[in-house]
Amino acid sequence: MIQRSWKIGGLALLGYVLCMIFFVPLGPGLLEFTSTGSAGHVQDQDRKVTVYALTGFGTHWTESPDQLTVVLRHGTQLASLPLIETLDATHVLVGMDLPYTVPSKSWDVLVTHPVDGTLLLENGVFLQDRFIDEQTKWANPEIAEYPAELPFHFPYQPQILETIRNLMLHVPMWFTMFLLMGISFVASIRQLSTAHDLHQDTKAEASVQIGLLFGALGLVTGSLWARYTWGAWWVDDPQLNGALVTVLVYAGYLVLRATIQNIRLRARLSSVYNLFAFVILIILLMVLPRFSESLHPGKGGNPGFNSYDLDSSLRAVFYPAVLGWMMLGTWMYHVRLKASSIERKLRQLQ
Amino acid sequence: MSSAAQIRYLVRHAIRVEMRNKHGIAGLAVFAIAAVYTCYQATGMHAERESWNALAWVVLLFTAFNAVSKPWADDASNMRSFLLHTVKPQDWLLARILYYSLMLLGLGALIFAAFLLFLGMDPFTGSGALFFFLGIEATALALASLLAMIQALAARAGGGFSLIAVLGLPLIIPIILVSTRYGMDIMKGIAFGDTAHHLLFLATLTGGFTALGYILFPYLWRD
Repeated sequence: MIQRSWKIGGLALLGYVLCMIFFVPLGPGLLEFTSTGSAGHVQDQDRKVTVYALTGFGTHWTESPDQLTVVLRHGTQLASLPLIETLDATHVLVGMDLPYTVPSKSWDVLVTHPVDGTLLLENGVFLQDRFIDEQTKWANPEIAEYPAELPFHFPYQPQILETIRNLMLHVPMWFTMFLLMGISFVASIRQLSTAHDLHQDTKAEASVQIGLLFGALGLVTGSLWARYTWGAWWVDDPQLNGALVTVLVYAGYLVLRATIQNIRLRARLSSVYNLFAFVILIILLMVLPRFSESLHPGKGGNPGFNSYDLDSSLRAVFYPAVLGWMMLGTWMYHVRLKASSIERKLRQLQ
Repeated sequence: MSSAAQIRYLVRHAIRVEMRNKHGIAGLAVFAIAAVYTCYQATGMHAERESWNALAWVVLLFTAFNAVSKPWADDASNMRSFLLHTVKPQDWLLARILYYSLMLLGLGALIFAAFLLFLGMDPFTGSGALFFFLGIEATALALASLLAMIQALAARAGGGFSLIAVLGLPLIIPIILVSTRYGMDIMKGIAFGDTAHHLLFLATLTGGFTALGYILFPYLWRD
Protein backbone atom coordinates (compact mmCIF):
# COMPACT_ATOMS: atom_id res chain seq x y z
CA MET A 1 0.00 0.00 0.00
CA ILE A 2 2.80 2.39 0.92
CA GLN A 3 4.57 1.54 -2.35
CA ARG A 4 1.46 2.24 -4.34
CA SER A 5 0.71 5.48 -2.52
CA TRP A 6 3.98 7.18 -3.38
CA LYS A 7 3.55 6.24 -7.02
CA ILE A 8 0.05 7.69 -7.02
CA GLY A 9 1.39 10.71 -5.15
CA GLY A 10 4.08 11.22 -7.79
CA LEU A 11 1.58 11.00 -10.62
CA ALA A 12 -0.77 13.40 -8.84
CA LEU A 13 2.09 15.87 -8.39
CA LEU A 14 3.02 15.61 -12.08
CA GLY A 15 -0.62 16.04 -13.10
CA TYR A 16 -0.81 19.19 -11.00
CA VAL A 17 2.50 20.43 -12.45
CA LEU A 18 1.49 19.81 -16.07
CA CYS A 19 -1.88 21.56 -15.53
CA MET A 20 -0.08 24.53 -14.01
CA ILE A 21 2.55 24.65 -16.77
CA PHE A 22 0.01 24.77 -19.57
CA PHE A 23 -2.88 26.71 -18.03
CA VAL A 24 -1.41 29.35 -15.73
CA PRO A 25 -1.20 32.67 -17.62
CA LEU A 26 1.89 34.82 -17.75
CA GLY A 27 1.78 38.10 -15.85
CA PRO A 28 1.83 41.47 -17.61
CA GLY A 29 5.00 43.29 -18.57
CA LEU A 30 6.35 46.03 -20.81
CA LEU A 31 7.91 45.05 -24.14
CA GLU A 32 9.17 48.35 -25.58
CA PHE A 33 8.89 52.12 -25.51
CA THR A 34 9.85 53.70 -28.82
CA SER A 35 9.50 57.02 -30.55
CA THR A 36 7.06 57.07 -33.46
CA GLY A 37 8.98 60.03 -34.90
CA SER A 38 5.82 62.12 -35.35
CA ALA A 39 4.72 65.13 -33.36
CA GLY A 40 1.34 65.30 -31.69
CA HIS A 41 -0.86 67.35 -29.45
CA VAL A 42 -1.67 66.52 -25.90
CA GLN A 43 -5.19 67.42 -24.79
CA ASP A 44 -5.41 70.58 -22.73
CA GLN A 45 -1.90 71.62 -23.81
CA ASP A 46 -0.85 73.77 -26.76
CA ARG A 47 2.73 72.55 -26.96
CA LYS A 48 3.68 70.01 -29.61
CA VAL A 49 5.38 66.88 -28.24
CA THR A 50 7.03 63.83 -29.75
CA VAL A 51 4.73 60.82 -29.70
CA TYR A 52 6.07 57.62 -28.18
CA ALA A 53 4.47 54.21 -28.52
CA LEU A 54 4.42 51.98 -25.44
CA THR A 55 3.92 48.27 -26.06
CA GLY A 56 2.89 45.98 -23.25
CA PHE A 57 2.58 42.22 -22.92
CA GLY A 58 -0.61 40.77 -21.44
CA THR A 59 -1.71 44.12 -20.07
CA HIS A 60 -5.30 45.39 -19.61
CA TRP A 61 -5.05 49.02 -20.60
CA THR A 62 -8.54 49.22 -22.12
CA GLU A 63 -10.04 48.71 -18.68
CA SER A 64 -10.25 52.12 -16.96
CA PRO A 65 -7.86 53.76 -19.46
CA ASP A 66 -7.90 57.11 -17.70
CA GLN A 67 -6.25 55.63 -14.61
CA LEU A 68 -3.19 54.49 -16.59
CA THR A 69 -0.09 56.46 -15.61
CA VAL A 70 3.19 56.39 -17.53
CA VAL A 71 6.19 57.58 -15.52
CA LEU A 72 9.87 57.99 -16.35
CA ARG A 73 12.37 57.41 -13.58
CA HIS A 74 16.04 58.20 -13.15
CA GLY A 75 17.35 57.59 -9.65
CA THR A 76 14.79 59.29 -7.44
CA GLN A 77 13.67 61.75 -10.09
CA LEU A 78 10.25 61.02 -11.56
CA ALA A 79 8.40 62.55 -14.49
CA SER A 80 4.82 61.79 -15.46
CA LEU A 81 4.06 61.63 -19.20
CA PRO A 82 0.69 62.67 -20.65
CA LEU A 83 -1.44 60.06 -22.40
CA ILE A 84 -2.46 60.73 -26.01
CA GLU A 85 -4.45 57.67 -26.97
CA THR A 86 -5.11 54.15 -25.79
CA LEU A 87 -5.08 52.02 -28.95
CA ASP A 88 -5.85 48.63 -27.41
CA ALA A 89 -5.10 46.54 -24.34
CA THR A 90 -1.38 46.41 -25.06
CA HIS A 91 -0.66 49.57 -27.08
CA VAL A 92 -0.82 53.16 -25.94
CA LEU A 93 0.56 56.45 -27.28
CA VAL A 94 2.11 58.96 -24.88
CA GLY A 95 3.66 62.37 -25.36
CA MET A 96 7.30 62.99 -24.42
CA ASP A 97 7.11 66.35 -22.64
CA LEU A 98 10.32 66.27 -20.59
CA PRO A 99 12.13 69.64 -20.48
CA TYR A 100 15.12 70.22 -22.75
CA THR A 101 17.59 69.99 -19.87
CA VAL A 102 17.42 66.62 -18.11
CA PRO A 103 19.66 64.90 -15.52
CA SER A 104 20.25 61.83 -17.68
CA LYS A 105 19.65 60.38 -21.14
CA SER A 106 18.69 56.97 -19.92
CA TRP A 107 15.39 56.50 -18.09
CA ASP A 108 13.40 53.60 -16.70
CA VAL A 109 9.78 53.40 -17.79
CA LEU A 110 7.19 52.71 -15.10
CA VAL A 111 3.50 52.11 -15.70
CA THR A 112 0.86 51.92 -13.01
CA HIS A 113 -2.62 50.66 -13.68
CA PRO A 114 -5.43 49.42 -11.39
CA VAL A 115 -5.44 45.91 -12.90
CA ASP A 116 -1.77 45.26 -13.68
CA GLY A 117 -0.21 47.07 -10.73
CA THR A 118 3.21 48.65 -11.33
CA LEU A 119 5.23 47.47 -14.34
CA LEU A 120 8.85 48.37 -15.03
CA LEU A 121 10.95 48.51 -18.19
CA GLU A 122 14.53 49.11 -17.09
CA ASN A 123 16.46 51.63 -19.22
CA GLY A 124 13.40 51.64 -21.44
CA VAL A 125 14.10 54.96 -23.12
CA PHE A 126 17.26 56.71 -24.28
CA LEU A 127 16.82 60.42 -25.07
CA GLN A 128 19.28 61.52 -27.72
CA ASP A 129 18.15 65.07 -28.37
CA ARG A 130 18.43 66.46 -24.84
CA PHE A 131 20.97 68.50 -22.91
CA ILE A 132 22.45 66.76 -19.89
CA ASP A 133 22.89 68.58 -16.61
CA GLU A 134 23.17 66.17 -13.74
CA GLN A 135 22.17 68.87 -11.27
CA THR A 136 18.76 69.34 -12.87
CA LYS A 137 15.89 68.63 -10.51
CA TRP A 138 12.20 69.20 -10.48
CA ALA A 139 9.39 68.36 -8.13
CA ASN A 140 8.27 64.76 -8.33
CA PRO A 141 4.65 64.39 -9.45
CA GLU A 142 2.11 62.59 -7.29
CA ILE A 143 1.67 59.07 -8.59
CA ALA A 144 -1.25 56.92 -7.58
CA GLU A 145 -0.03 53.38 -6.95
CA TYR A 146 -2.35 50.45 -7.38
CA PRO A 147 -1.92 46.98 -5.98
CA ALA A 148 -2.13 44.42 -8.78
CA GLU A 149 -5.43 42.54 -9.00
CA LEU A 150 -4.38 39.59 -11.09
CA PRO A 151 -5.25 35.91 -10.85
CA PHE A 152 -2.44 33.39 -10.15
CA HIS A 153 0.22 33.90 -12.83
CA PHE A 154 3.88 33.32 -13.65
CA PRO A 155 6.14 36.38 -13.53
CA TYR A 156 6.95 38.22 -16.72
CA GLN A 157 10.69 38.20 -17.53
CA PRO A 158 12.06 40.18 -20.45
CA GLN A 159 13.16 37.97 -23.39
CA ILE A 160 12.24 34.77 -21.55
CA LEU A 161 8.49 35.46 -21.75
CA GLU A 162 6.40 32.29 -22.12
CA THR A 163 9.45 30.01 -22.13
CA ILE A 164 9.64 30.44 -18.37
CA ARG A 165 7.35 27.40 -18.24
CA ASN A 166 10.32 25.31 -19.35
CA LEU A 167 11.77 25.78 -15.85
CA MET A 168 9.38 23.10 -14.60
CA LEU A 169 10.37 20.66 -17.36
CA HIS A 170 14.07 21.24 -18.06
CA VAL A 171 15.58 21.75 -14.61
CA PRO A 172 13.89 18.77 -12.87
CA MET A 173 15.21 16.51 -15.67
CA TRP A 174 18.75 17.23 -14.56
CA PHE A 175 17.88 16.92 -10.89
CA THR A 176 16.34 13.52 -11.60
CA MET A 177 19.42 12.50 -13.59
CA PHE A 178 21.64 13.56 -10.67
CA LEU A 179 19.50 11.46 -8.30
CA LEU A 180 19.64 8.39 -10.56
CA MET A 181 23.37 8.70 -11.20
CA GLY A 182 23.82 9.07 -7.43
CA ILE A 183 21.87 5.82 -6.90
CA SER A 184 24.09 4.20 -9.52
CA PHE A 185 27.24 5.56 -7.81
CA VAL A 186 26.22 4.08 -4.45
CA ALA A 187 25.26 0.77 -6.08
CA SER A 188 28.66 0.60 -7.79
CA ILE A 189 30.51 1.18 -4.51
CA ARG A 190 28.45 -1.55 -2.87
CA GLN A 191 29.07 -3.84 -5.85
CA LEU A 192 32.83 -3.43 -5.41
CA SER A 193 32.64 -4.19 -1.68
CA THR A 194 30.36 -7.24 -2.08
CA ALA A 195 31.78 -9.17 -4.99
CA HIS A 196 29.72 -12.36 -4.63
CA ASP A 197 26.34 -10.87 -5.56
CA LEU A 198 25.53 -9.15 -8.83
CA HIS A 199 22.32 -7.48 -7.67
CA GLN A 200 24.01 -4.12 -7.03
CA ASP A 201 25.44 -4.20 -10.54
CA THR A 202 21.97 -4.66 -12.01
CA LYS A 203 20.85 -1.69 -9.92
CA ALA A 204 23.71 0.46 -11.22
CA GLU A 205 22.92 -0.44 -14.82
CA ALA A 206 19.18 0.15 -14.49
CA SER A 207 19.64 3.57 -12.89
CA VAL A 208 22.17 4.66 -15.54
CA GLN A 209 19.75 3.61 -18.30
CA ILE A 210 16.90 5.65 -16.82
CA GLY A 211 19.26 8.48 -15.87
CA LEU A 212 20.48 8.71 -19.47
CA LEU A 213 16.88 8.96 -20.65
CA PHE A 214 16.34 11.93 -18.35
CA GLY A 215 19.66 13.43 -19.45
CA ALA A 216 18.58 13.17 -23.09
CA LEU A 217 15.24 14.80 -22.25
CA GLY A 218 17.15 17.55 -20.42
CA LEU A 219 19.23 18.18 -23.55
CA VAL A 220 16.13 18.26 -25.77
CA THR A 221 14.15 20.63 -23.54
CA GLY A 222 17.20 22.84 -23.13
CA SER A 223 17.83 22.90 -26.87
CA LEU A 224 14.22 23.89 -27.60
CA TRP A 225 14.44 26.67 -25.03
CA ALA A 226 17.73 27.89 -26.46
CA ARG A 227 16.16 28.07 -29.94
CA TYR A 228 13.50 30.48 -28.73
CA THR A 229 15.54 32.65 -26.39
CA TRP A 230 19.09 32.55 -27.77
CA GLY A 231 18.14 31.87 -31.40
CA ALA A 232 20.21 28.72 -31.84
CA TRP A 233 19.64 25.05 -31.10
CA TRP A 234 23.06 24.76 -29.53
CA VAL A 235 25.55 27.37 -28.32
CA ASP A 236 29.11 26.97 -27.07
CA ASP A 237 28.70 27.35 -23.36
CA PRO A 238 30.42 25.64 -20.40
CA GLN A 239 27.14 24.52 -18.87
CA LEU A 240 25.93 22.99 -22.15
CA ASN A 241 29.26 21.31 -22.90
CA GLY A 242 29.28 19.82 -19.42
CA ALA A 243 25.78 18.44 -19.87
CA LEU A 244 26.52 16.88 -23.27
CA VAL A 245 29.79 15.34 -22.14
CA THR A 246 28.16 13.89 -19.03
CA VAL A 247 25.63 12.14 -21.25
CA LEU A 248 28.49 10.85 -23.47
CA VAL A 249 30.42 9.57 -20.45
CA TYR A 250 27.44 7.55 -19.30
CA ALA A 251 26.82 6.33 -22.83
CA GLY A 252 30.41 5.05 -22.63
CA TYR A 253 29.37 3.12 -19.52
CA LEU A 254 26.75 1.23 -21.52
CA VAL A 255 29.23 0.61 -24.36
CA LEU A 256 31.73 -0.80 -21.87
CA ARG A 257 29.09 -3.14 -20.49
CA ALA A 258 28.21 -4.36 -23.95
CA THR A 259 31.88 -5.14 -24.68
CA ILE A 260 32.46 -7.55 -21.78
CA GLN A 261 31.02 -11.06 -21.94
CA ASN A 262 32.02 -12.39 -18.51
CA ILE A 263 29.31 -11.08 -16.16
CA ARG A 264 31.48 -10.98 -13.02
CA LEU A 265 34.25 -9.11 -14.78
CA ARG A 266 31.62 -6.85 -16.35
CA ALA A 267 30.18 -6.01 -12.94
CA ARG A 268 33.61 -5.13 -11.54
CA LEU A 269 34.96 -3.12 -14.50
CA SER A 270 31.79 -1.18 -15.12
CA SER A 271 31.57 -0.31 -11.42
CA VAL A 272 35.11 1.06 -11.56
CA TYR A 273 34.26 3.12 -14.64
CA ASN A 274 31.01 4.29 -13.07
CA LEU A 275 32.88 5.79 -10.12
CA PHE A 276 35.10 7.69 -12.56
CA ALA A 277 32.02 8.82 -14.46
CA PHE A 278 30.33 10.21 -11.35
CA VAL A 279 33.43 12.16 -10.36
CA ILE A 280 33.55 13.62 -13.90
CA LEU A 281 29.85 14.49 -13.63
CA ILE A 282 30.55 16.47 -10.45
CA ILE A 283 33.51 18.22 -12.08
CA LEU A 284 31.67 19.03 -15.31
CA LEU A 285 28.35 20.16 -13.91
CA MET A 286 29.28 21.59 -10.51
CA VAL A 287 32.92 22.72 -10.63
CA LEU A 288 33.84 23.79 -14.17
CA PRO A 289 30.85 26.09 -14.83
CA ARG A 290 31.86 28.08 -11.77
CA PHE A 291 35.32 28.58 -13.28
CA SER A 292 34.03 30.10 -16.46
CA GLU A 293 31.42 32.55 -17.66
CA SER A 294 28.18 31.12 -18.86
CA LEU A 295 25.04 32.41 -20.54
CA HIS A 296 22.94 29.78 -18.88
CA PRO A 297 20.23 31.08 -16.50
CA GLY A 298 21.43 31.11 -12.92
CA LYS A 299 25.01 31.84 -13.93
CA GLY A 300 26.91 35.11 -13.97
CA GLY A 301 24.09 37.56 -13.35
CA ASN A 302 21.62 35.93 -15.71
CA PRO A 303 18.16 35.40 -14.34
CA GLY A 304 18.01 32.05 -12.66
CA PHE A 305 17.17 30.50 -9.38
CA ASN A 306 18.07 33.48 -7.27
CA SER A 307 15.50 35.73 -8.86
CA TYR A 308 12.92 32.97 -9.19
CA ASP A 309 13.33 31.98 -5.56
CA LEU A 310 11.64 35.18 -4.55
CA ASP A 311 8.61 34.49 -6.68
CA SER A 312 6.07 32.40 -4.84
CA SER A 313 4.07 31.47 -7.97
CA LEU A 314 7.06 29.74 -9.59
CA ARG A 315 8.05 28.11 -6.34
CA ALA A 316 4.56 26.70 -5.95
CA VAL A 317 5.00 24.80 -9.21
CA PHE A 318 8.78 24.27 -9.39
CA TYR A 319 9.24 22.37 -6.11
CA PRO A 320 6.35 19.96 -6.79
CA ALA A 321 7.75 19.52 -10.31
CA VAL A 322 11.18 18.50 -8.99
CA LEU A 323 9.60 16.11 -6.53
CA GLY A 324 7.17 14.70 -9.08
CA TRP A 325 9.78 14.07 -11.80
CA MET A 326 12.10 12.50 -9.23
CA MET A 327 9.31 10.16 -8.09
CA LEU A 328 8.55 9.24 -11.69
CA GLY A 329 12.26 8.64 -12.35
CA THR A 330 12.59 6.42 -9.30
CA TRP A 331 9.50 4.50 -10.31
CA MET A 332 10.84 3.96 -13.83
CA TYR A 333 14.12 2.83 -12.31
CA HIS A 334 12.31 0.28 -10.13
CA VAL A 335 10.41 -1.10 -13.13
CA ARG A 336 13.63 -1.32 -15.15
CA LEU A 337 15.41 -2.99 -12.25
CA LYS A 338 12.66 -5.58 -11.89
CA ALA A 339 12.77 -6.35 -15.62
CA SER A 340 16.58 -6.68 -15.59
CA SER A 341 16.53 -8.96 -12.55
CA ILE A 342 13.96 -11.23 -14.21
CA GLU A 343 15.99 -11.29 -17.42
CA ARG A 344 19.09 -12.24 -15.46
CA LYS A 345 17.27 -15.05 -13.63
CA LEU A 346 15.85 -16.38 -16.90
CA ARG A 347 19.32 -16.47 -18.43
CA GLN A 348 20.60 -18.41 -15.41
CA LEU A 349 17.80 -20.97 -15.82
CA GLN A 350 18.57 -21.60 -19.47
CA MET B 1 61.12 -4.43 -1.50
CA SER B 2 59.56 -1.16 -0.41
CA SER B 3 56.86 0.41 -2.55
CA ALA B 4 59.14 3.18 -3.80
CA ALA B 5 61.83 0.71 -4.81
CA GLN B 6 59.26 -1.50 -6.48
CA ILE B 7 57.81 1.41 -8.47
CA ARG B 8 61.30 2.51 -9.49
CA TYR B 9 62.09 -1.02 -10.62
CA LEU B 10 58.83 -1.33 -12.58
CA VAL B 11 59.37 1.99 -14.38
CA ARG B 12 62.96 1.10 -15.23
CA HIS B 13 61.78 -2.29 -16.46
CA ALA B 14 59.13 -0.70 -18.67
CA ILE B 15 61.70 1.68 -20.16
CA ARG B 16 64.13 -1.19 -20.73
CA VAL B 17 61.47 -3.21 -22.55
CA GLU B 18 60.58 -0.16 -24.62
CA MET B 19 64.21 0.47 -25.55
CA ARG B 20 64.81 -3.15 -26.47
CA ASN B 21 62.28 -2.70 -29.22
CA LYS B 22 62.55 0.91 -30.31
CA HIS B 23 60.04 0.90 -33.15
CA GLY B 24 57.12 1.55 -30.79
CA ILE B 25 58.38 4.83 -29.42
CA ALA B 26 59.89 5.81 -32.78
CA GLY B 27 56.52 5.20 -34.39
CA LEU B 28 54.89 7.57 -31.91
CA ALA B 29 57.46 10.27 -32.60
CA VAL B 30 56.94 9.91 -36.35
CA PHE B 31 53.17 10.02 -35.87
CA ALA B 32 53.47 13.23 -33.84
CA ILE B 33 55.78 14.97 -36.30
CA ALA B 34 53.74 13.85 -39.30
CA ALA B 35 50.60 15.17 -37.61
CA VAL B 36 52.25 18.55 -37.00
CA TYR B 37 53.48 18.59 -40.59
CA THR B 38 49.95 17.92 -41.83
CA CYS B 39 48.76 20.89 -39.76
CA TYR B 40 51.54 22.99 -41.29
CA GLN B 41 50.43 21.99 -44.79
CA ALA B 42 46.87 22.97 -43.93
CA THR B 43 47.53 26.30 -42.22
CA GLY B 44 50.85 27.48 -43.65
CA MET B 45 53.77 29.06 -41.86
CA HIS B 46 51.91 31.79 -40.04
CA ALA B 47 48.94 30.15 -38.41
CA GLU B 48 46.26 32.22 -36.71
CA ARG B 49 46.47 31.87 -32.98
CA GLU B 50 43.07 30.15 -32.81
CA SER B 51 44.19 27.42 -35.19
CA TRP B 52 47.62 27.20 -33.54
CA ASN B 53 45.97 26.62 -30.19
CA ALA B 54 43.38 24.14 -31.46
CA LEU B 55 45.86 22.10 -33.51
CA ALA B 56 48.45 21.88 -30.74
CA TRP B 57 45.96 20.35 -28.32
CA VAL B 58 44.44 18.04 -30.90
CA VAL B 59 47.86 16.68 -31.89
CA LEU B 60 48.83 16.21 -28.23
CA LEU B 61 45.53 14.45 -27.57
CA PHE B 62 45.81 12.05 -30.48
CA THR B 63 49.44 11.30 -29.73
CA ALA B 64 48.50 10.52 -26.13
CA PHE B 65 45.75 8.14 -27.24
CA ASN B 66 48.16 6.47 -29.62
CA ALA B 67 50.76 6.19 -26.90
CA VAL B 68 48.47 4.43 -24.45
CA SER B 69 46.91 2.15 -27.04
CA LYS B 70 50.19 0.36 -27.65
CA PRO B 71 49.79 -3.25 -26.50
CA TRP B 72 51.60 -3.95 -23.27
CA ALA B 73 53.11 -7.31 -22.37
CA ASP B 74 51.86 -7.01 -18.77
CA ASP B 75 48.25 -7.07 -19.98
CA ALA B 76 48.48 -10.68 -21.12
CA SER B 77 46.55 -12.80 -18.62
CA ASN B 78 49.45 -15.10 -17.67
CA MET B 79 51.70 -12.10 -17.08
CA ARG B 80 49.02 -10.47 -14.99
CA SER B 81 48.60 -13.53 -12.76
CA PHE B 82 52.34 -13.55 -12.20
CA LEU B 83 52.48 -9.84 -11.33
CA LEU B 84 49.40 -10.20 -9.12
CA HIS B 85 51.45 -12.35 -6.73
CA THR B 86 54.63 -10.33 -6.85
CA VAL B 87 53.60 -6.66 -7.00
CA LYS B 88 51.05 -4.58 -5.11
CA PRO B 89 48.50 -3.51 -7.75
CA GLN B 90 48.65 0.12 -6.56
CA ASP B 91 52.41 0.17 -7.09
CA TRP B 92 51.96 -1.26 -10.53
CA LEU B 93 49.41 1.46 -11.44
CA LEU B 94 51.66 4.22 -10.07
CA ALA B 95 54.56 2.82 -12.08
CA ARG B 96 52.41 2.77 -15.19
CA ILE B 97 51.23 6.37 -14.60
CA LEU B 98 54.85 7.44 -14.08
CA TYR B 99 55.95 5.68 -17.23
CA TYR B 100 53.17 7.23 -19.31
CA SER B 101 53.96 10.60 -17.74
CA LEU B 102 57.61 10.37 -18.82
CA MET B 103 56.59 9.28 -22.30
CA LEU B 104 53.95 12.03 -22.72
CA LEU B 105 56.25 14.70 -21.27
CA GLY B 106 58.82 13.75 -23.91
CA LEU B 107 56.23 13.59 -26.71
CA GLY B 108 54.73 16.91 -25.55
CA ALA B 109 58.13 18.56 -25.78
CA LEU B 110 58.66 17.04 -29.23
CA ILE B 111 55.26 18.21 -30.47
CA PHE B 112 55.81 21.71 -29.13
CA ALA B 113 59.23 21.94 -30.74
CA ALA B 114 57.78 20.74 -34.05
CA PHE B 115 54.99 23.32 -33.78
CA LEU B 116 57.49 26.13 -33.18
CA LEU B 117 59.56 24.92 -36.11
CA PHE B 118 56.76 24.50 -38.64
CA LEU B 119 53.94 26.79 -37.58
CA GLY B 120 56.08 29.62 -36.25
CA MET B 121 56.12 31.59 -33.03
CA ASP B 122 53.85 34.40 -34.20
CA PRO B 123 51.11 33.96 -31.60
CA PHE B 124 53.44 34.33 -28.64
CA THR B 125 54.60 37.52 -27.03
CA GLY B 126 57.36 37.73 -24.42
CA SER B 127 57.81 34.47 -22.57
CA GLY B 128 54.40 33.22 -23.73
CA ALA B 129 55.95 30.23 -25.51
CA LEU B 130 57.48 29.06 -22.25
CA PHE B 131 54.18 29.29 -20.39
CA PHE B 132 52.39 27.50 -23.22
CA PHE B 133 54.98 24.74 -22.95
CA LEU B 134 54.27 24.54 -19.20
CA GLY B 135 50.59 24.10 -20.06
CA ILE B 136 51.39 21.30 -22.52
CA GLU B 137 53.44 19.45 -19.93
CA ALA B 138 50.78 19.88 -17.22
CA THR B 139 48.19 18.54 -19.66
CA ALA B 140 50.48 15.61 -20.51
CA LEU B 141 50.63 14.69 -16.81
CA ALA B 142 46.85 14.92 -16.42
CA LEU B 143 46.32 12.80 -19.55
CA ALA B 144 48.81 10.20 -18.31
CA SER B 145 47.08 9.88 -14.93
CA LEU B 146 43.67 9.32 -16.52
CA LEU B 147 44.64 7.30 -19.58
CA ALA B 148 46.74 4.81 -17.60
CA MET B 149 43.57 3.76 -15.81
CA ILE B 150 41.40 3.82 -18.95
CA GLN B 151 44.00 1.75 -20.82
CA ALA B 152 44.05 -0.85 -18.05
CA LEU B 153 40.24 -0.92 -18.04
CA ALA B 154 40.01 -1.35 -21.81
CA ALA B 155 42.72 -4.00 -21.86
CA ARG B 156 40.93 -5.93 -19.12
CA ALA B 157 37.64 -5.67 -21.03
CA GLY B 158 39.40 -6.88 -24.17
CA GLY B 159 38.13 -3.91 -26.17
CA GLY B 160 41.27 -2.53 -27.79
CA PHE B 161 41.73 0.93 -29.25
CA SER B 162 38.10 1.71 -30.02
CA LEU B 163 37.12 1.08 -26.42
CA ILE B 164 39.92 3.36 -25.17
CA ALA B 165 38.56 6.07 -27.43
CA VAL B 166 34.92 5.57 -26.43
CA LEU B 167 35.71 5.56 -22.70
CA GLY B 168 38.58 8.02 -22.74
CA LEU B 169 37.46 10.82 -25.05
CA PRO B 170 34.46 11.97 -22.98
CA LEU B 171 36.40 11.60 -19.74
CA ILE B 172 39.30 13.78 -20.86
CA ILE B 173 37.04 16.67 -21.90
CA PRO B 174 37.44 18.51 -18.56
CA ILE B 175 41.22 18.44 -19.10
CA ILE B 176 40.92 19.70 -22.67
CA LEU B 177 38.44 22.43 -21.71
CA VAL B 178 40.88 23.81 -19.14
CA SER B 179 43.96 23.41 -21.37
CA THR B 180 42.50 25.10 -24.43
CA ARG B 181 41.27 28.01 -22.34
CA TYR B 182 44.71 28.35 -20.74
CA GLY B 183 46.42 28.23 -24.14
CA MET B 184 44.11 30.89 -25.53
CA ASP B 185 44.72 33.12 -22.49
CA ILE B 186 48.48 32.83 -22.96
CA MET B 187 48.17 33.68 -26.67
CA LYS B 188 45.98 36.67 -25.93
CA GLY B 189 48.86 37.98 -23.84
CA ILE B 190 47.10 37.68 -20.49
CA ALA B 191 49.63 37.77 -17.65
CA PHE B 192 50.69 34.34 -16.43
CA GLY B 193 49.59 35.11 -12.86
CA ASP B 194 46.02 35.77 -14.03
CA THR B 195 45.63 32.48 -15.84
CA ALA B 196 47.81 30.24 -13.65
CA HIS B 197 44.72 28.93 -11.84
CA HIS B 198 44.13 26.78 -14.94
CA LEU B 199 47.43 25.01 -14.28
CA LEU B 200 46.44 24.57 -10.65
CA PHE B 201 43.17 23.04 -11.79
CA LEU B 202 45.06 20.66 -14.10
CA ALA B 203 47.31 19.65 -11.20
CA THR B 204 44.22 19.02 -9.06
CA LEU B 205 42.75 16.84 -11.81
CA THR B 206 46.02 14.91 -12.07
CA GLY B 207 46.06 14.32 -8.32
CA GLY B 208 42.38 13.41 -8.28
CA PHE B 209 42.63 10.90 -11.13
CA THR B 210 45.74 9.34 -9.59
CA ALA B 211 44.02 9.00 -6.21
CA LEU B 212 40.88 7.54 -7.78
CA GLY B 213 42.98 5.09 -9.78
CA TYR B 214 44.98 4.18 -6.68
CA ILE B 215 41.77 3.28 -4.83
CA LEU B 216 40.02 1.49 -7.69
CA PHE B 217 42.82 -0.26 -9.55
CA PRO B 218 42.99 -3.33 -7.24
CA TYR B 219 39.33 -4.10 -8.07
CA LEU B 220 40.09 -3.88 -11.73
CA TRP B 221 43.15 -6.06 -11.66
CA ARG B 222 42.27 -9.04 -9.52
CA ASP B 223 40.49 -12.09 -10.87
